[in-house]
Amino acid sequence: MITRHRLGLVLLLLAALAGGGCAAMSVQPWDRDLLAQKKMRFVPLPMEAATDDHIYFSKEGSTGGTDVAGGGCGCN
Amino acid sequence: MQLEDAGRARGARQRLRAAACVLLAATAPSGARAASAPHWQLDGSALLYGEQNRARVAEPVARITRMFADGQSLSARFALDAMTGASPTGALPTGTVQTTTSASGSTTTSSATAIPTQPFQDLRGALDLDWLRPIGTLVTTTTGFHFSHEKDYQSLGGNARLSVDLMHRLATVTVGGGYNHDGVFPVGGIPQGLADSTVARRVGTETKNVATGLLGVSRVLTRRWMIGVTASRSKEDGYLTEPYKAVSVLDPSTQRPMLQLTENRPATRTRSDVLASSVSHLERDVLYLSYRYYWDDWGVRSNTLDMKLRHELSGGTWIQPHLRAYEQTSAQFFVFGLIHGPPLPQYASADDRLGPLRTATLGATYGFQLPGHSGEFTVRGEYLYQWVSGRPHIPVSQVGSRVEREDDGGEGGATGSSNSASGTSIGSVLAGYTVQF
Amino acid sequence: MRRLVTVLVAVVVLAAPALAKKPPVPLAAPAFALPARSGTVVLDSLRGKVVLVDFWASWCEPCRKSFPWMNAVHQRYAAKGLVIVAINLDKTRGPADKFLEEFPAPFTIAFDPNGKAATAYRVKAMPTSYLIAPDGKVLEMHAGFDSKYAAALEARIAGALSP
Repeated sequence: MITRHRLGLVLLLLAALAGGGCAAMSVQPWDRDLLAQKKMRFVPLPMEAATDDHIYFSKEGSTGGTDVAGGGCGCN
Repeated sequence: MQLEDAGRARGARQRLRAAACVLLAATAPSGARAASAPHWQLDGSALLYGEQNRARVAEPVARITRMFADGQSLSARFALDAMTGASPTGALPTGTVQTTTSASGSTTTSSATAIPTQPFQDLRGALDLDWLRPIGTLVTTTTGFHFSHEKDYQSLGGNARLSVDLMHRLATVTVGGGYNHDGVFPVGGIPQGLADSTVARRVGTETKNVATGLLGVSRVLTRRWMIGVTASRSKEDGYLTEPYKAVSVLDPSTQRPMLQLTENRPATRTRSDVLASSVSHLERDVLYLSYRYYWDDWGVRSNTLDMKLRHELSGGTWIQPHLRAYEQTSAQFFVFGLIHGPPLPQYASADDRLGPLRTATLGATYGFQLPGHSGEFTVRGEYLYQWVSGRPHIPVSQVGSRVEREDDGGEGGATGSSNSASGTSIGSVLAGYTVQF
Repeated sequence: MRRLVTVLVAVVVLAAPALAKKPPVPLAAPAFALPARSGTVVLDSLRGKVVLVDFWASWCEPCRKSFPWMNAVHQRYAAKGLVIVAINLDKTRGPADKFLEEFPAPFTIAFDPNGKAATAYRVKAMPTSYLIAPDGKVLEMHAGFDSKYAAALEARIAGALSP
């Protein structure tokens, strides 16, 4: 039963992450100095990541998880 | 295993990921500093990859991005894969010295203990175009196009994704989709499923379509820490069988392969995965952690754990060790071999990539800049070890009274042999360069 | 597929209030006394002048555009009585000084590493600028920086300076 509703549970988790959270202003806009750095990204080295996707896609049976956008300096 | 299969349906998923990597442009400069805002970005990489006694790949890649005043950007990525070597067919070691002829006419001689392989040589070219466009201050759209071609495979695809910043930019929601239309035209023709070598191959092209959708959310949790979760699902349909792979049929009394059949896979596949990522800035280092759970309707389930730690050294240089652990369960129709006698199943494959596979990766990247130049160089060395758990031992032909067990013969003979059932070692070196101007 | 659409709708519904709401703007510009490059900057002492307060940081990408613009505005309107106070929010002086080497600024630079003034002004994005009238009331607030807004703000400044 859990397996059938796996995706449903995941989608629920995503919805909760997106809209929920009382920590709305826990990180002030001027506290994003570290997050603004180029290395503070889900994919800091895109060329390396693309190469890895290619290698593991050919050598294994799973498809790569796609990283999501987010973080950053939050400017503009 | 053939790295050339990477060309096969690289998938909208990979394209979506590449689309996300296109940089956001700087806005229009005003005043005295107009010249300093970069308009171009150049990324290059060169990969040298080698599997122990198997495939070797050289892959140069170049990507050029043009950034515009209003925040839009356009990028073109060219990749070339030069592949050569030998790839396991999925057939079991026969126990005697064997000479096999591949579909393209080349012959291989394998020793008694070696896993049968097939030599291959291929050149694959790929082009990816991406267009990033901000809408207002909170929304970004990305559209991508992909084309790749090699001797026996062609892929054409498009993808799009939309990102929205919420909660004063502390959360980002991303939604995306992609569609791929691929063509398969194997050398020697398309084989009939689960047929032996007497059955003629059909000349022609088969197609494969892949539709992908993804939904992701990321959250900034603290000044130093952000997390993200992405769920994606893709549906493949069309020709999903590997035309060069084989399944051995064993003689029930001797337990030795007596016949080789082509494999056969279902015509549809639904694949899903969930990826959880974390990026945290420690005292001085940055830790990247990710976990992916994958499942599909062929019965394959996998867990992937990936860890990188970026450590800053002096003079703007850094080192980033990397550890990755992967395990998967086998597909329902995966077999090491079939026993002669009972009726054939509808689907069967002995391809290791559908078997109980494990991969362990250990590597490190070193980043540095040259004095007086703004571009950044990276050099990465990685070691991968891949093995199939539970591979059975096939008794080798008895020479006198000695029975040689398969896993003793790791060295192989002088011709076309590959390593034993214990696993494959893979090494790679990747050089990278990026500059804005 | 249907589940995906349902969740998508749910996310949009949850997000809508966050997107629609405009951050509340303080009506009277909150007072501050912050260290500057030389001496201290006290907002109250600037009563009677048109003041442009800009919150910035060295890591803020759009600030690389706003500084040349503020320079131009300073050249044009300082003589007419405009005072620009750019409040830096870097945690340490080093990165701020480095930024100022690249983008020299003749106007006042103040330092608020603890974010006290930023909190009082309810800054929601980087950069954020406030145009303060001679009576101390906030005429305008804008989060972010782009050339379109900059042109409109300059017009507003010109308007505020000529009574």
